[in-house]
Parts: sequence; structure tokens; C-alpha cells
Amino acid sequence: MSDLDRAIAQLRACRPIPENDVRELCHKARELLIEEGNVVTVNAPVTICGDIHGQFHDLMELFRVGGDVPDTNYLFMGDFVDRGFYSLESFLLLLCLKVRYPDRMTLIRGNHESRQITMVYGFYDECLRKYGSANVWRYCCDVFDYLALGAIVLGASNTLSEGGGGGGGTAPVAGSDVEIEVCNADQQIISRFLRKGSSSASSSREGSQAGESQVGEGGSSPERGRTEGSSNDAAGGQPTTNGFGDGGGPPAPTNTGPPGSGASGASGGSIGNPAGAVLCVHGGLSPLIDNVDKIRLLDRKQEVPHEGAMCDLLWSDPDEIDGWGLSPRGAGFLFGADIVKVFNHRNDLSLIARAHQLVMEGFKEMFDASIVTVWSAPNYCYRCGNVAALLELSEDDSGLGVLARSNGDVNRSDGMGGQGSRGVLMENDLLGYNTAGPARRYRVFQAAPQDSRGMPAKKPVADYFL
Amino acid sequence: MEPPPPPPPSAAGAVSLPRLPILTSDELSEKAFGPLQKRINSGADVSFFLTSRAYKELMVWIMQLNHSLIPRLSSDTARPVCFPLEPGRREWSEPVRRLREMLGGCEDLILEAPPEENKNRRFGNGACRVWHGKLGERIQGWIDGLGLGVDGGVKEELRGYFMGAWGDKGRLDYGTGHELSFLAFLGGLWKVGFFGGEEEKEGEREREVVIGVVEMYLEVVRKLITTYTLEPAGSHGVWGLDDHSFVPYIFGSAQFTKPILGSRTEATPVEGSCPGAPKPASAVDKQTVEDYRGSNMYFGAIGFIYDVKRGPFWEHSPMLFDISGIKDGWGKINKGMVKMYRAEVLGKFPVVQHFGFGGLWAWEVDPEMVGERSVHLQSQPVQNQAQSLGQGGGEGGTKAPWARGAMGGMSGGQVSMPRPMDGGVMAPTGFPGRQPGMGTPAGLPGRGQVPTPRGGIPNTGPMEQTSFPRGGGMHDRVGGNQFSVTKAPWAKD
Repeated sequence: MSDLDRAIAQLRACRPIPENDVRELCHKARELLIEEGNVVTVNAPVTICGDIHGQFHDLMELFRVGGDVPDTNYLFMGDFVDRGFYSLESFLLLLCLKVRYPDRMTLIRGNHESRQITMVYGFYDECLRKYGSANVWRYCCDVFDYLALGAIVLGASNTLSEGGGGGGGTAPVAGSDVEIEVCNADQQIISRFLRKGSSSASSSREGSQAGESQVGEGGSSPERGRTEGSSNDAAGGQPTTNGFGDGGGPPAPTNTGPPGSGASGASGGSIGNPAGAVLCVHGGLSPLIDNVDKIRLLDRKQEVPHEGAMCDLLWSDPDEIDGWGLSPRGAGFLFGADIVKVFNHRNDLSLIARAHQLVMEGFKEMFDASIVTVWSAPNYCYRCGNVAALLELSEDDSGLGVLARSNGDVNRSDGMGGQGSRGVLMENDLLGYNTAGPARRYRVFQAAPQDSRGMPAKKPVADYFL
Repeated sequence: MEPPPPPPPSAAGAVSLPRLPILTSDELSEKAFGPLQKRINSGADVSFFLTSRAYKELMVWIMQLNHSLIPRLSSDTARPVCFPLEPGRREWSEPVRRLREMLGGCEDLILEAPPEENKNRRFGNGACRVWHGKLGERIQGWIDGLGLGVDGGVKEELRGYFMGAWGDKGRLDYGTGHELSFLAFLGGLWKVGFFGGEEEKEGEREREVVIGVVEMYLEVVRKLITTYTLEPAGSHGVWGLDDHSFVPYIFGSAQFTKPILGSRTEATPVEGSCPGAPKPASAVDKQTVEDYRGSNMYFGAIGFIYDVKRGPFWEHSPMLFDISGIKDGWGKINKGMVKMYRAEVLGKFPVVQHFGFGGLWAWEVDPEMVGERSVHLQSQPVQNQAQSLGQGGGEGGTKAPWARGAMGGMSGGQVSMPRPMDGGVMAPTGFPGRQPGMGTPAGLPGRGQVPTPRGGIPNTGPMEQTSFPRGGGMHDRVGGNQFSVTKAPWAKD
């Protein structure tokens, strides 16, 4: 068993690893991350996750629901640390998995992966408490500086793979018309939403649960995929042991090599991209970034600045406004549906996946499904009562996808006037709704049971009480 | 320059506990009262605030209330007289009765603003804005109904503090800044003589203010938090003392501290417990918390944590868990809570930045206070960002690069801990021994050292407040639907 595997085993047991091991791990991780571009290319299938915030036991629950590493490819959209009690264990485990399985794990930076923020919101205090010094905090912050700013998912299918529902896989009735499927932690389908314009009129709900859909009206609701009462749904039944139904696991990815390294030849060109690319970023868009390529040009290896494109990508939020607005957070911006649609059009994106905001239902699609918020910290801060979600994108294995337009392609006419020379996606885009967007399976889950967590000894109190 | 006056005797009992002065009619007519002024716009302003008359008097007020709750030794009985909460009490002094009526009115407004059904919301319930609106409609009548006999400017200030005590209606959050605003409201009423002059029993009026008014306020706040799922303002998650509140931990620990004889010259105990009080260790025991939450404010606050949080207590509230391990009794906890309040609430830019100043709480330098400084520079707006940005990793020390930037506004680049009062000696204000221009308060020789930049310094959860109603605008519209948003520490609003 290698040192790394030992560290993984120890961290999986929620026990911190020694300071020297952290230093070594962070060093290795930096060597790996420094080779990644600002925007990592990731091939479907991939499972996209939002904020974790040190909720270690819930991260374990996430792996139980979504499948373990390396059987499932994961993309975590940042905010691993702060607020929760186990930021250290959570981040180090993810980092270990990244180093151990670099092509199966993608970690991008959230606004909390920052020295200044972690000093205010808990991770610094946690490191001090657990190690008695700030060294580990420093090592981790040095890694933060090397995390990618975003990821592009290519090769996502516009049909769902099997494996959503328990046992029998996807029911035949919906077939390839299913655009969105929502499952609970027990692999049961809570609800399904068909593509707009498909022969079956509206959504069909399956499974034994009573998830009340707000989306059912032919997909016309601006906010698709919300499911009220999903927390109850997710609670029901006995958990199964494995992330996917019987034999329904996703096909093993055929491309290996670190995402974004280009070594696999998969970062554009060789994989069909029929469903459009998906941009993953922690916060959102920036008025300084009209093109994914501009993200690639940033110098990311630094503390998150207080302003500018890099800051915005990690801090911004979508909102029901026109254009851009000031963010009440004091960093980043608010951006409206028009901004997202133009950006997606210009960059051949079918979807932006982001995190950064708690959503009670675990995920929330906005602006005609052009952007989705994914939140992966259930019962946030022990009290919010929200469920968490992860987003699965299946691999397109038809082999017939239109030629990939990897984002950042050179000979692409840009701008809004560029109609005519574009592909299939273009027309759909102009309809304002991308019927060819990737099929999305959301798995919704609740906080891990708190059964067997032993009580630690009381630590020395803060100086105020001495 | 005059030589500093000789330090007053530092022995306990020599100096009387300061009380918040009641303004004379001359002062009431001479001072300028009016709409509250926002004064704290930068970290340097926080430093000024810590030397201001407002800051000193706020601490006097808090310590005055704190002192009144300490159990008293009695010649009549063997057991000391304690001052538990009295949930069933009907008879209150007239001023307290009126305030309770007002708070009851606030609570009743919840019925008029039922929470909205889950429509496109992320966390905080927008109906809370309706509640705020209704409060705004009623408040003037309520203030007038108190029969204060002061002019409109004073009422305007009182109204501002009261309105600022219920959370931010834009962000739908609530924190210690709002709690502070309520204390400022009550202290303002004290200053205008609303609670009357000398009482028969020492500390009686202050006690009624706490167990009759502050406790009821906290109850209404808790109802607002649960009804409208108000966000903890600027939550630090598990790494704060409490998501929303602070003062119940001060006052509740005072209720259980070592008894005193009862004169105003007697120092606040800094260790020991009242005979019969539950042990600090039991403050995390769910059953003991249930037993005492109705009579003690510390246990009441922890009871509320148990109400709203799921998970092991030591995990979601590690700081309270650790504090429950203190061996030196409730006096020690009380002393620590006061120190922490000064540093983590009054010394934090995000908390105090919206505090409004005027004639009641004055933004003017207090000679006794010169020398106070804030420690928590990382939460102050950065003065000189340029030098802190773009340097990436590789910083040698524990201190983050921007910390230097934040210190740009500080004299000499040297930052000292805000002096926690020396609990042993005249804890009530902590400043009686202060000499003008003297860096360290009396009784604290050699204690001003900061261990590490932030080593072991805990955060308190709630961070932000609006101390007076704002003009709506952008904030109301955009801030609303966000839950537990991380705000940039450098954000000025």
C-alpha cells in the first residue's frame, strides 16, 4: 500500500494526516495542478458537484450516492473548505484522490479557496485547532493558488445513460426524450422531465415517491427542475450500497490522461460534442470575459484578487435582472439571463454549471436551463434543512456527434452576427432554448446520519477565557 | 502637555461601578439629536470607534447590566439570592411593562406577515420584509406611546436603534450587530431617564431590563429567525460562538457566577460559580439545557441552538463545547465572554460598520479611551490593496499577505490586541485605570501581547448589521434571496 493509499484510507476515516504528509501531498498536488490549464477539459461521463464546506460525512454520503472514486469521474466546483467542522479532512481527501487518480478527479477553485476568506470563515481556525500551527493552512493555501478556474465538459450525451432508477434501469417510456431525471439517494427516480417538443406532452413522473414537480408545464417554467418536497423523497427507503443500479454503472471512460493536459487527445476534436459543451465554474460570469479563451489567458496562480475577471468567476451570481448588477457580496457581479444566453451562444455552450449559492432543493436551473446551480452540502451549517445534489452527465457513445467545436477553436466566426455558418446548435440557440442540451441526471441526497461520530476531548479555549 | 494623572487604585472595591449617566435637561436641549449618522467606513474608523465616547458608554451599559445579574449574598438566607429568568412573571415596573408591550406588538406583527410559501426562494423568507414594513408603520406610534417627554430628535435616534435591531430586511439575516442596536436602544432609554433614577435595591432596574426586556427581545428574535428562516449574518459556520447572538452568553454566565455582597463597588467576579448552579460542563448536555433554558439566558441560547441545529453539539458548536470544559466556573466564562464581545463584536468592522451615531451615542473621542485598537484587521477594509494582491503563495509567515495592506491605516504598522479588560480589577468597564495616552489599561501589565496574528482568536458568527432602516434600493432587491452568502471581508456595505 503506497503512502498515498494509506493517506486516503486515513482520511476516509476522517482522521487528519500528519503535517509532513500534508506538505508532501500539497507539493505533489501543485506539481500536478500547475500543468492544468485555467480551464480544464473534461470528458463525459462526469459527475459535477457543488459546495462541500467541510461537511466531511456528507461528502462520504455524496460518494455513496454518486459512486466511489475512481469508478465515477468527479468534478468539484470549489468551496471545499470553511464553515464546516471538517474542511481539512474533506479538502485533503479530495486532494489525495486528485493526486491518486488525476484523470478521474477535477477540482476547480471556489471563492473560499483563498487566504483571506479562510481566515475569516473558519478554515484557518480549524487548522490551528487541529495542528496547533498554521503550517497546514499555508500548505493548503499554496495549493489553492494552483487550482483551475473552470472546466469544460465535452462529449456529454443528450440522452441519459442507464442507471438512474433502481434495478431495472431507465423505464422505456421516456427513452431519449428525457432531458432531466431526478433521483433520490436510493436510486429511485423522483421525477422526469421530457424535452420540450417531444411527443409525450409534459413530464412524466415515476418512482414511488411523491415529488411534486414545478416543472411539469411542458418545460416552460423559467426555472426548471425544481422539485418541492424532494427532501422527503430523498429520505425514504433504505439506502443501497452503491452509487449505481445493478450493472448500470456508466461506461468506463475511454480517454485517459490528465484533463486539460491534451495528452489524451481528447481535449477537442476527437470526441463528438452533440449536446454542446458545459462550462463549469464556481461563481459565474464576468463582464471582462466574453469568451472562454479569455479565461485561459488569465494568470491564475495567485491569491484570488478583490476584483477583476478571476475574482468575478469565483464570486458572481446569476439573478433575475437584465445585464449586469452589483453584487451584495461585495465581490463579483450579478448577471441576468441575457448575459448567459449571449455567452453560451458565443461559446457554443449548452449549459453553465456553477455552485456558490445554497439552493434548498440541491439544484436549480435558471434562464431556460442555460445555467444551473448545484449545491452539495446537505443541511448546510447543520441547520438549513436543504437537500444536496450532484449532476451526472452521461457520455455520448453514439459516435455520431457533430464535430466538436472545442471552445477556443480558432476559425470560428464569433459575435452575434455570425449566423449561417454555424452548426445545428446554432439554430437551437436562436430559438432561445437548446433542445440539444445534455441530458441531466440529478441525484439528490440528505445529510449523512450522525450515528457513530465519537465525541472528542475538549480543546483548550480561546485566549479570552484564559 | 500635562503629566498623566496617577493611576487610580487598582484594588477591587475601590472604584464604583460606572453607570450610564442620565442626561440632564440641559444636555438634552444642548446636544444635537437627529437621524443616526453612519461613521464607520474603514478599518481606521473602527480604531477611532474604540476610542470613542459611544464605545466606552456601550461597554459601561453592558457591564452595568451584567453586574446587576450577579447573585447576591444575603444576610437573611444561607443561600445567595439568584436572578433567574421569570417566564411567568406578570408584574413589571411601568417602563418595562411598556417595552414588553412593544415587543409583544413586534411578535404579533408576525401574524400579520405570515411566511410566504416556498416560491422561488433560496432561504430567507421574503415575508420578513412585510414584517419590517409593518414595524416601520407602527414604530413611531409606539415610541410616542412611551411617554418620554423628549423632543423629536431623540425619538428619531431611538427609533433608528429599534428598527435596526431586527436583522437586515435586504439580506434577510440577523446577527450581533442587530443585537447591539437593541442594546443601544435600551441604553438610550436609560440615558433619557425612562427607567427612572435610584432604585430601592441596587441593580434592580438593570435586572428588570435584562430579564424583562432583553430576554423577551431575544425570544421575539428567535421567533423571527425560525419563522422567516433568517440567515446568520456573515456566518462562520461552526467556527463562531453562535450563529446569531452574543449577549445571552454574557448575561447568562453572570446569572451563575460567584455571588457578591451586592454593592456597586464590588468587582465582577472573574472565577467561581454560584452554589447550586449547574456546572459549565453541563451546558452542552441536552437534558440539562432543557432544565435550565427557561431560567438562564446562557442555557436559553444553547437551547435555541439545539432547536435549530442537527448534528453532534461538539461538531456544530465546537467553541461552546470547548468553553464548557472551563474549570474555573461561570465567573471565568463571564469574563471571557465580555473580552470576546469587545474584540469580536465591537472591534469588528463588518459588525459595527452600520452602527449609527448621534447625540445618545456620540462619535467623539473619549480621552480615557485613546489607545484602543482593533485586532481583527482581516475583517477591516483593506487600506492598501495594491501591495497585498498578486503575490500568490510563497509568503513566509503565518500572516496573509493582505494583512499588511490592512494595516496600512494603523499607526506604526504595529497592531495590538484590543485590550480585553482585566477581569480581576474593576471589570465593569475595564477602563477606570486608563490614563490618557497610555497604551495599556491599568492592571494589564504585560498582557497586551498577541500570541500569533490570529492564533486561537475565535470568530463570532454573526457579523453584519444594519442599525437603521435604509432607503431600500439595490440592496433590497438583490440581496434578498441569498442564503449564507459569503460576503467579501473587504465589502463596505
